[in-house]
This record gives sequence, structure tokens and C-alpha cells, in this order.
Amino acid sequence: MARDRNRTDKPGKGVTRRGFLGTVGAGAVAAVTGLPRPGEAVPEITEPKGMVETALSINGRMHRLLVEPRWTLLFVLREQMGITGTKIGCARGECGACTVLMDGSPRYACMTLALEAQGHEITTVEGLMDGEELGDVQQAFVEEDAFQCGYCTAGQVVAAQGLLAANPSPTVDEIRAGMAGNLCRCGAYVHIFRAVERAAKGRGKGGGR
Amino acid sequence: MDLAVQRVLRPGSFEEAVRVMAEHPHALPIAGGTDLVVQLRDGRRAADVLVDLSGAGLAFITARNGVVEIGGATTMDAIANSREIRDACPALAAASRLVGAWPIQCRATLGGNLANASPAADTAPPLLVAEASVHLVSADGDRRIQLSELFSGPGETCLRPGELIRSIMIPTQHLQRTVREGFAKVGPRWEQIISVASLAHRFELDADGSIREARVAVGSVAPTPVRARAAEQFLAGKPPTAAVRREAARHLQDDISPIDDVRAPAWYRRVAVSVLLDRALTEAADG
Ligand code: FES
Ligand code: FES
Repeated sequence: MARDRNRTDKPGKGVTRRGFLGTVGAGAVAAVTGLPRPGEAVPEITEPKGMVETALSINGRMHRLLVEPRWTLLFVLREQMGITGTKIGCARGECGACTVLMDGSPRYACMTLALEAQGHEITTVEGLMDGEELGDVQQAFVEEDAFQCGYCTAGQVVAAQGLLAANPSPTVDEIRAGMAGNLCRCGAYVHIFRAVERAAKGRGKGGGR
Repeated sequence: MDLAVQRVLRPGSFEEAVRVMAEHPHALPIAGGTDLVVQLRDGRRAADVLVDLSGAGLAFITARNGVVEIGGATTMDAIANSREIRDACPALAAASRLVGAWPIQCRATLGGNLANASPAADTAPPLLVAEASVHLVSADGDRRIQLSELFSGPGETCLRPGELIRSIMIPTQHLQRTVREGFAKVGPRWEQIISVASLAHRFELDADGSIREARVAVGSVAPTPVRARAAEQFLAGKPPTAAVRREAARHLQDDISPIDDVRAPAWYRRVAVSVLLDRALTEAADG
């Protein structure tokens, strides 16, 4: 986490671990530009097994890349772009490990085709960082000890972010319902709900982003 | 990680979607993909070509002339949040909030839930009690059918090759009458489960509290979602007393033909759906 100043991918160290993995995984990335420019919803006729050029806006940056039409957003994020914060659990829309935000609302990346994400703003857990600092929801998860193994955590944090965007001061029942699509096999639910409550309260006091 | 799909076509309008479907008769339309992506991955459905309907302008809810019309690609989340739908068919709004969990509700569409034709489709019982109709369009023309005609078996519909669900139409109920309506389902938990049994009801009550007209539809207890005609006929004109409720549950058994499967044995489904009917009637009696 960002509080850990010893991690190997801090800037200024030459090739970073995450950057290195990202480069290796980015075989299909054609180019990266800094300007968001949502793709147009034009009909896309592609050759069988052919790659299609697409542009995905991820965490505020536009990425132009080649994808196969059958690739899921989760596959493209992890295997093609090296953005590995988003986890793969069930790969069938049941566990929530792969939750990302699409235009601010939670989506399972495992059941979203990468091409469907074109023209939408995608946010992954990496996009919730505030520079090198944790975002407020991430910080609340740390403070409430809202995980054990941490495998579900990225999805939980992203889902909580989406919930709070739609409902800034949820009741406990609303938190439970809003987070119901994210399973935690370690059973950290009580702490997770507390973390969401903490983040909501922090924002109420003007402490959020 | 990826699917046995070779092409994804993304029409930019409904007209274009209809044309593209005609050019690719074996294509499957995809909207939210919450059922289809899993089925493609498991090999339960197959398609070389997918037609992505998300850009086809099918996400809309309009209310006019006593009809609420819902575009086929309208999401569960949009339906649950819609004032028009909460007024016209509160059971549908409630059921939409119980499809999967919220991330699923933000993607899953009404047309998709119906076209997938699961016996457990949660949006079907509320739409059956509302006597909704479906507007189907293909390059050969369009037709309007009752929702009850759409389902022909588990996972099967009367949709012809190339035909798309453009919209679902709900006649608006007469709000001056006393109507009790709701939806409930049974499963291991509320969210993210496929219903073991579900029931939607719309009871129109007389001033003395007896049931003038009963409409009941059930899910997961027959090859398709169905209206419970025997229970409905029995209930018409009766007050929802304990004796009537018990007898109604007996009649309900004639309306259903549940099976044993991984989610529950048939006998449990018979009990569960009876309990759901009993609760709906009790609530109607309590006002
Ligand atoms: S990996 Fe996507 S919901 Fe489980
Ligand atoms: S912390 Fe281990 S799965 Fe949630």
C-alpha cells in the first residue's frame, strides 16, 4: 500500500516492478496518449480472430490498443495492460473480485467485453489512489482492518467507492445491499461494512475527495 | 479468460441492429451480457457473432396513454429507480432490485432477462401479473405478443431468428382502486442467487377487504414463469382469511410443476411458493 515506503515500484528507481510487468504485459498496447477522447459508438466489423483497434479510457488516461472482440475487460486490464489491481475470482459474475467502475457505477470486468467499455470512463482500484496516498475509501479499509488475505479487497474498495458516489450517506442496510455483490471468503464483512461507514462519515465532514 | 466469439458487431441505432441481425441469422444479441457471457464461457450457448445492443438506443422508459414502455436494453438499476415503474408496477421495481447484486443490476437488462427465458427470471412474474406485452422487431416486420406467449420452455422463447425485443409495454393500473402488489423470492440469500421460488401478486380489494380480482404469477416452479390461474380463480371474491389462504395454497399446487435440481427439491419449492402466497395474502388482509 502507499504507506509502505519500501515498496519496489516507487518513482525514481528506474524500472519499477509494476512498470516492468506492465510493459511485458502490454504486447497489444499500440500507443498511449494523455488526452481522454472517448471512442465513438461506430459499428465495428472485424475479421474473424482479428484484432480491433480500440481506445479505452482507464483511470483518466486514454489507451489506444488492439484487442480481440472476445476479450473481456478483465483480461485486457490484467493480461494486456498489466493493470493487475483488479482481481479475477469466479470469472462468472458472482464474486465481485473484478469490480471496476464504468462511468462511476460498479461493473464486473469479467463479464464486460473490452469493446463494450469503449466510450466509457473506467476506474480501477489504481485510479482511487491520490498520487502516492491512499484514497479515502482505501484508507478507511486500512483503518478498520477490513480484510484478511486481501484478495477481495480491490473489488470491495471499488464497489464501496461506487456505492458512496450514488449514496453519500448510506444506512447500514443500504451498505449491506450495495456491497452484496462482493464476496469475501475470509468473512471480513463486519469490518468491511464499518470501513464503508467510516469513509461515508469522513466525506460528510468534508474529508473525502 | 476469453470467449469463443469471433466478431462483435456494434450497431449505432436500432434500425441498424435489425439489419445486422438479418445479415447474421445465427448471431446472438448481447446487452448486459450477465447471462450470456457466462453461458458462452460454459459452452451452454454458442455464437460466432455477437450483436452488442448497447448503442442501439434501447435504454428508455416512457409513460404515455396509459402505457409504460420499457426499452429492451433498460437496466435493472434504471427500472428499480424509475418513478413511472414504481407507480405502474411496483412488483417489477422490487424484483429488479433482487436480480443478482447491484453491479449486475447496473448491467443486466429487462430484454435480456426475458430473452434468456430462465424459469427463474425474476422480472417475469411481475410482468405477467401486469399483463405486459412485448414488441418484437425483425427485418421481416414487427409484432406485439403477450409476455406469456414469449416463453416456450426453459431457456427457450418464440423469438424468430433475427428478431429483437424492442420494448416491453405495461398497461398502467387504475390507481383509484385499492390494489396490493408485490414480489418476493426464496433462496439461500437475498442477493446474487437464482430464485428457488418466486411469486408476484396483484390483488384488487373491495371496500370490505375481500379480493375482487387476484393475479398471481410464479417463477422457478414450472418450465417457464406462469400465471397461477387455479389459485387466482379460487381467490376471486373471497376475503383473505386463514381458511381461504390455506385453500388457495392447495389450488396453487395445480398451477405448478416444479422439479428437483441443484438448487432445491421439488417438494421444497411447493412449500416455499405456498408460503410466499400466504404472506402476500396476509399482508393484503392487514392492509
Ligand atoms: S471475477 Fe468477476 S465477479 Fe468474480
Ligand atoms: S479478505 Fe480474503 S477474501 Fe476478503
